Amino acid sequence: MIRLIQLYLIYTFIIATLLSSSRALSFEYNLYGSIQPEYSLFTNGDGRHNQSREKPSILGTANFTTFIQDDNAKISISALSRYDREDHNRTYFDFQKLKYEYYFDDATIKLGNEIVFWGVNESFHLVDIINQSNLSENLSGTKKLGQPMIAVSLYRDFGDVDFYILPYFREQIFPGANGRPRLKLEIDENSISYESSKAEKHTDFAIRYSTMIDDFDIGFYHFYGNSRNPKLSINQSSLKLDQYYPLLSQTGIDIQATKDAWLYKLEVIFAELMSEQYFSAAGGFEYTYYGFNNSSQDLGLIIEYLFDDRNDQPFNNEGSIGIRWTKNDINSTTLLAGSIVDLDGNSNQFFIEYEQRLKNDFKIFIESIISGSIDSSDYNYAFKDDSNFKIKIAKYF
Amino acid sequence: MLKKLFTFIFILLLPSFSLAETPEEKGKNIAKKSYENTRGFVDSESDQIMILIDPQGNKVEREISGKTLENLDPDDGDRSITYFNKPKDVEGTVMLSHTHVNEDDDQWLYLPALGRVKRISSSNKSGSFMGSEIAFEDFSGLDYRKYNWKFIGEENYQGELQSKIESYPKDKNSGYSKRVGLTDSLFRASKIDYYDRKGQLLKTIFFEDYKLYNDKIWNADTFRVVNHQNKNTTILKWINRKLNVGLNKKDFEKSSLQKLSN
Repeated sequence: MIRLIQLYLIYTFIIATLLSSSRALSFEYNLYGSIQPEYSLFTNGDGRHNQSREKPSILGTANFTTFIQDDNAKISISALSRYDREDHNRTYFDFQKLKYEYYFDDATIKLGNEIVFWGVNESFHLVDIINQSNLSENLSGTKKLGQPMIAVSLYRDFGDVDFYILPYFREQIFPGANGRPRLKLEIDENSISYESSKAEKHTDFAIRYSTMIDDFDIGFYHFYGNSRNPKLSINQSSLKLDQYYPLLSQTGIDIQATKDAWLYKLEVIFAELMSEQYFSAAGGFEYTYYGFNNSSQDLGLIIEYLFDDRNDQPFNNEGSIGIRWTKNDINSTTLLAGSIVDLDGNSNQFFIEYEQRLKNDFKIFIESIISGSIDSSDYNYAFKDDSNFKIKIAKYF
Repeated sequence: MLKKLFTFIFILLLPSFSLAETPEEKGKNIAKKSYENTRGFVDSESDQIMILIDPQGNKVEREISGKTLENLDPDDGDRSITYFNKPKDVEGTVMLSHTHVNEDDDQWLYLPALGRVKRISSSNKSGSFMGSEIAFEDFSGLDYRKYNWKFIGEENYQGELQSKIESYPKDKNSGYSKRVGLTDSLFRASKIDYYDRKGQLLKTIFFEDYKLYNDKIWNADTFRVVNHQNKNTTILKWINRKLNVGLNKKDFEKSSLQKLSN
């Protein structure tokens, strides 16, 4: 934690120095953000760990960008802060971005916190690896923590090559004891160990090559460093879950083919973790029927499949199906509904996400996750009684 | 003697035969001149304000800004970058388009909160641009290469006799069956009526506030779109338009999207 504070102080110092060196007269910047109160209601009453049936929370976001050094460089700050009444782990502050970038003619150097997304899938984000997930936000891991990095990108005729040096590792944030949904057993926040003797100070690195050939967008990378997902094991004395971060060596490929209204997607990883080698692939398609029923509305169908050759993984043979309705109206109304199905058993889960803009820079989001039938052996069994509805109203400024 | 007479008559008629354009050729030639009127800008940048007005008169504003890189290749299209500033919930989003004449455009979106660059389908020709009455395909609506044309006569409009031209989209994904437009003596489009796939009159775009840029390029700085079916109106205004500003060509690549986002 102290190390983290030191890092941020260094960033702040660098940024302050750069800001003061830019000409004060031409100082232009962009500042925007939002406030997003939300309220979740769990339909099965109080949780099996005595969590409340209600979960009120509020999120604030702030973004600042400015171009300096004759527009050859940019400073970006994106901060998130949430207060959650029930879950202490979900009350946090994070610099998603806190970075300085310098743009050369065919290269970019980046220093600081950044969010980097790799991949093409909607449901199964297999190749995405740079940023740590904040599972207190959602268990699917789509919400990330800013990753400190030094990155260099080279732009060549044959494609782009990005080098990432990741000097500091961020531990996964799990839902707290009062968090909902949460795992059956409590996570022991004080029992964290690493394979690397340098622990969170292990310097992780990644190299990625990406290019575009006609209708294909292709990416290829290798990562070596602390695994973003800890191995959890029951501590027989505390009866809590200990966290262990092994070193991971992973090669990934992501491909999207864009053919008219069809998007074909594939993500593949080959990995080595604790001297076990494994392979996983996820892919599918997205088809959009534009202007269906002679209206200006669109209807999309998304089908994806995930395979993992490790049998002990909770997600090794899963399917997902989703339907996205885009009204294309003034309020940008969209509805996404679907299901994730474990093809090995009879377990499934349903989700609905609705959003539309309201007046005066307000936007409303309604989300629901509903447990279907869940086998007692399924990973999701711990969340069986956590079906919920969430309403969120965001005000943008 | 007779042979000579025929030859004489033939020679006499020859120029008129070769000069006699078919209505299709005449329509295409006018459309081509009209298009070429807007070319030669090298690159451009501008801010755009869009006002969406419903039949009750309620107004909503959108703000975007954009950059375009001209491509003089007769078989390919321009590249453009669009920044979304308003509505505020999409602020920081950037779209990159590599347009093509004979195939679908390539389009990418940068979503800043997710740090994600997403390749999107561009088959959505007839889709609404940001909830307005302007369809994506309307932005390339003056590119003569994307339509078949037919001159159908002249009509008095705004105090002068203007050429009336029909056009039929070549793209099978177009939302229109045909368009009927008027072009003035300076080869500037004045207005175009759009007919939907069923042949019903859908909307009219009025091209207004023409301004001569860099002493040679005519640009309409206002598009006023009236939808005859749902009675909505959209006004799209270009402000601070600058041509030939010396933009960096490398900015119009997928890898620059993150840099461009503010």
